Amino acid sequence: MRSEIVIIGGGIIGVTLAHELAKRGEQVTVLEKKYIGSGSTFRCGTGIRQQFTDEANIKVMKRSVELWKKYSEEFGFPFKQTGYLFLLYDDEEVREFKRNIKLQNKFGVPTRLITPEEAKEIVPILDISEVVAASWNPTDGKADPFFATTAFAREAEKLGAKIFEYTEAKDIIVENGEIRGVKTNKGIIKTEIVINAANAWAKLINAMAKIPIKIPIEPYKHQGVITQPLKGGEINPMIISLKYNDAYLTQTEHGGIIGGVGVEYGPTYDLTPTYEFLREVSKAFTKIIPVLGELLILRTWAGFYAKTPDSNPAIGRIEEINEFYIAAGFSGHGFMMAPAVAEMLADLITRGKTELPIEWYDPYRFERGELRETALQMG
Amino acid sequence: MLVKLMRLTEHPILNFQEKRGRKITIYFEGQPIEAYEGETIVMALHAAGIRVLGYSVHKHRPRGLFCAIGKCASCLMTVNGIPNVRTCITLVEDGMKIERQKDKPKLPPTVKPPKFKEAKKVSGDIVIIGGGPAGLMAAINAADAGAKVILLDENPMLGGQLVKQTHKFFGKREQFAGVRGVKIAEILEEEVRKRENIEIFLETSAIMLLQDGDEKLVVGVRKNKELIEFRGKAVIVATGAMEKMIPFEGNDLPGVYGAGAIQTLMNTYGVKPGDRVLIVGAGNVGLILAYQLIQAGVDVKAIVEAMPKIGGYFVHAAKIRRLGVPILTRHTILRAEGKEKVERAVVAQIDEKWRSIPGTEKVFDVDVIALAVGLRPSIELLHQVGCQIKYVPELGGHVVIRDSRMETTIKGIFVAGDSAGIEEATTAMLEGKIAGIAAALEIGTASSEWFKEIEKAQKELDEFRAGPFGRKVLEGIKKVVVE
Ligand SMILES: Cc1cc2nc3c(=O)[nH]c(=O)nc-3n(C[C@H](O)[C@H](O)[C@H](O)COP(=O)(O)OP(=O)(O)OC[C@H]3O[C@@H](n4cnc5c(N)ncnc54)[C@H](O)[C@@H]3O)c2cc1C
Ligand SMILES: Cc1cc2nc3c(=O)[nH]c(=O)nc-3n(C[C@H](O)[C@H](O)[C@H](O)COP(=O)(O)OP(=O)(O)OC[C@H]3O[C@@H](n4cnc5c(N)ncnc54)[C@H](O)[C@@H]3O)c2cc1C
Ligand code: FES
Repeated sequence: MRSEIVIIGGGIIGVTLAHELAKRGEQVTVLEKKYIGSGSTFRCGTGIRQQFTDEANIKVMKRSVELWKKYSEEFGFPFKQTGYLFLLYDDEEVREFKRNIKLQNKFGVPTRLITPEEAKEIVPILDISEVVAASWNPTDGKADPFFATTAFAREAEKLGAKIFEYTEAKDIIVENGEIRGVKTNKGIIKTEIVINAANAWAKLINAMAKIPIKIPIEPYKHQGVITQPLKGGEINPMIISLKYNDAYLTQTEHGGIIGGVGVEYGPTYDLTPTYEFLREVSKAFTKIIPVLGELLILRTWAGFYAKTPDSNPAIGRIEEINEFYIAAGFSGHGFMMAPAVAEMLADLITRGKTELPIEWYDPYRFERGELRETALQMG
Repeated sequence: MLVKLMRLTEHPILNFQEKRGRKITIYFEGQPIEAYEGETIVMALHAAGIRVLGYSVHKHRPRGLFCAIGKCASCLMTVNGIPNVRTCITLVEDGMKIERQKDKPKLPPTVKPPKFKEAKKVSGDIVIIGGGPAGLMAAINAADAGAKVILLDENPMLGGQLVKQTHKFFGKREQFAGVRGVKIAEILEEEVRKRENIEIFLETSAIMLLQDGDEKLVVGVRKNKELIEFRGKAVIVATGAMEKMIPFEGNDLPGVYGAGAIQTLMNTYGVKPGDRVLIVGAGNVGLILAYQLIQAGVDVKAIVEAMPKIGGYFVHAAKIRRLGVPILTRHTILRAEGKEKVERAVVAQIDEKWRSIPGTEKVFDVDVIALAVGLRPSIELLHQVGCQIKYVPELGGHVVIRDSRMETTIKGIFVAGDSAGIEEATTAMLEGKIAGIAAALEIGTASSEWFKEIEKAQKELDEFRAGPFGRKVLEGIKKVVVE
């Protein structure tokens, strides 16, 4: 078998990229060792925000939200601009967020500082007794990872992309710095271009290609929780409380309250849910919205934050191996970034350049010791 | 006046007048209803003729009770403003306000911010989840073998399925043959309560099972509210089973009940399930249920059985036939009809390929359809903690791999009774005994003398399973037991 481009990893990054490349007329194949979304994507918290603290991530996320809107309308999956509401508890936090808001406004993201009372109007069940202000951007939002991922995969296939599930990349054949093919559990696929979109497993793919530079991406266990479904409209936006254990929570289309807190384990490939998380998430959520104490939890689960030292992904070309690209290490915000990441990487592959600030995610920055300002991470 | 009608005041075996607690009042959608302390919300509602407990979210179809032991979520209601309460295992309290849910529920508008305290911590040598015959026997034997035992059950009473078995048991005398199930439950409970090294927690659901350092951690929730951390060196899971449902039109109508739920209604709480019943399934459970219904003064219209032969013991079947109840083999239920609850059942004959034969339909005017079509093991906690699982139809579905001493693939986690594979109370007790002793041996509180007791129980199990009804189970056990 032959394919012009092989993407290793069928998460949201792999399928949005496959769709973007197929749309540009490229012949592309996605290899997924289990099923589409089975990595981190189907385990994510659904949140999509532009409230970042650096220029590059704000710009990329602004573009991403435009694309989320466009594709959700075209493909018909749920994406809602219900906003992100950061609860702030003291003057120092307010000062910091004022600075972020200024930067976000500069690039056209309409975040503003609101009073606790205004926050309560947005989410009436909120307890605002400790809140002094909130950072509110109504154009942030959320999407359903199951519908979104399968929609991108389906549309990519319509455009001729091949998606092979239960097909694991076992090795990458490289001769004199040129890629020849990918060995899988189902045979060899001949190709000249490989994209590592394996996120939490990215280091294993890098090792297969024997890339000579250091790209530290490690898997950390994070967990999510969902409650029994409630009538819609209880919690429309994503609520964030950095004070209460980096908590984030919102209501899904189906009605359950979904979210998590910053209980982290790793590096590890273990995915056993922990009691510590269950306890801490209950504590944080009921601090933010006391009445959630009356609700039953349906499920908790674990997934990976694929983390780099500055919590920014590695996106770009690896020069030493011709036509080897990487887009991995998305920490807790790879779902939201995916459409823009797909666009900039497809730009790079097909046109050799992109308008989006891809340099920020330069995979060589670790080797050079040029870490970025740490990206704002929840959970 | 309905109230009096649905409550059993006379029963040949059970005396409910004596058993009933203080009379109190609860409010169903504002309307006062009489209830008795010690009964669950659903029982009080059913006694008042209320069968529709809520409506499904999307199609707004009426919902009624199904399992009556807290395992299926078809009885969720809003109680004192709190949504999604399992009303089949929640006891009534004076002045309680109960509402049906017609949509996805809303949260109550205000509550006081909760005060955080550390979870209550309870430690012992062995934590036993489930107080049915398996769990009770495990507790008694582990305690006698020197272990400090913690026993929890999410229902408000001990005994598991036994508390509703009013019939006399088969088997050997040592295993309580000839004794009624309810009586066995009483005897075992008394034994358990006698032992000072057994601590009992009722109305306490185990929601998580974990390895915690060298210990096992069982996360429990008491009365839907209080978080309790149970720690022990070993855990025995004896969580029993869950009634199976079969597909047919209208199978979600209130009045389509699991056999166990009907027994709970009439035998545990003295509430008549209805007036006219069709039973689906002629295994022992279906046959015994027919007999118990007749005892309670309920009209059993027929039993339908898809197989060409009756599955249960011949004596049971003969008794039912003598009482004039037709047993229709090679028949199945096509649909349940009725507006808000079951009003009729339509059955038909089936051919070798299990297709219904047109023209053979029969209509029964019934208000209850009892499903006695088998059980499946409750293995959720074992699955969650990571025990190896296998699908073994002979044992009722997915079960855990274990050794001959009931230890699963995770050291220190044992299984016993129906949760290890669907069988009977007799075998559940023997497995409980083995698991209790094996756990005590493993953690070192029991002397090696106790090995003999395990061997004895294993021999008794072998003898019990040597009968014709044991063959299938033995086939299944071969697939899950490893050394
Ligand atoms: C609890 C939790 C909450 C989160 N919340 C959010 C959120 O609210 N918003 C947000 O934007 N992000 C969130 N994230 C992060 C988000 O889930 C990830 O960043 C995102 O899903 C990454 O997508 P991906 O396609 O890069 O990786 P993945 O979805 O992990 O896809 C990589 C795929 O590669 C496959 N693979 C690996 N090795 C091989 C191989 N050798 N051969 C073939 N296939 C292979 C894997 O099976 C996997 O499916 C959250 C993550 C977690 C765990
Ligand atoms: C109609 C009928 C007739 C029967 N007749 C006979 C007969 O004649 N002879 C015979 O030998 N057997 C008979 N049986 C079978 C017998 O009742 C069961 O096999 C036996 O009760 C199984 O015992 P157990 O301890 O494994 O489970 P159970 O008796 O089901 O007990 C399990 C207990 O675990 C508790 N539990 C479950 N999950 C949790 C949790 N997460 N947290 C806390 N507690 C939990 C439950 O509340 C329950 O009390 C009959 C069964 C039925 C339904
Ligand atoms: S959970 Fe209450 S009827 Fe099943």
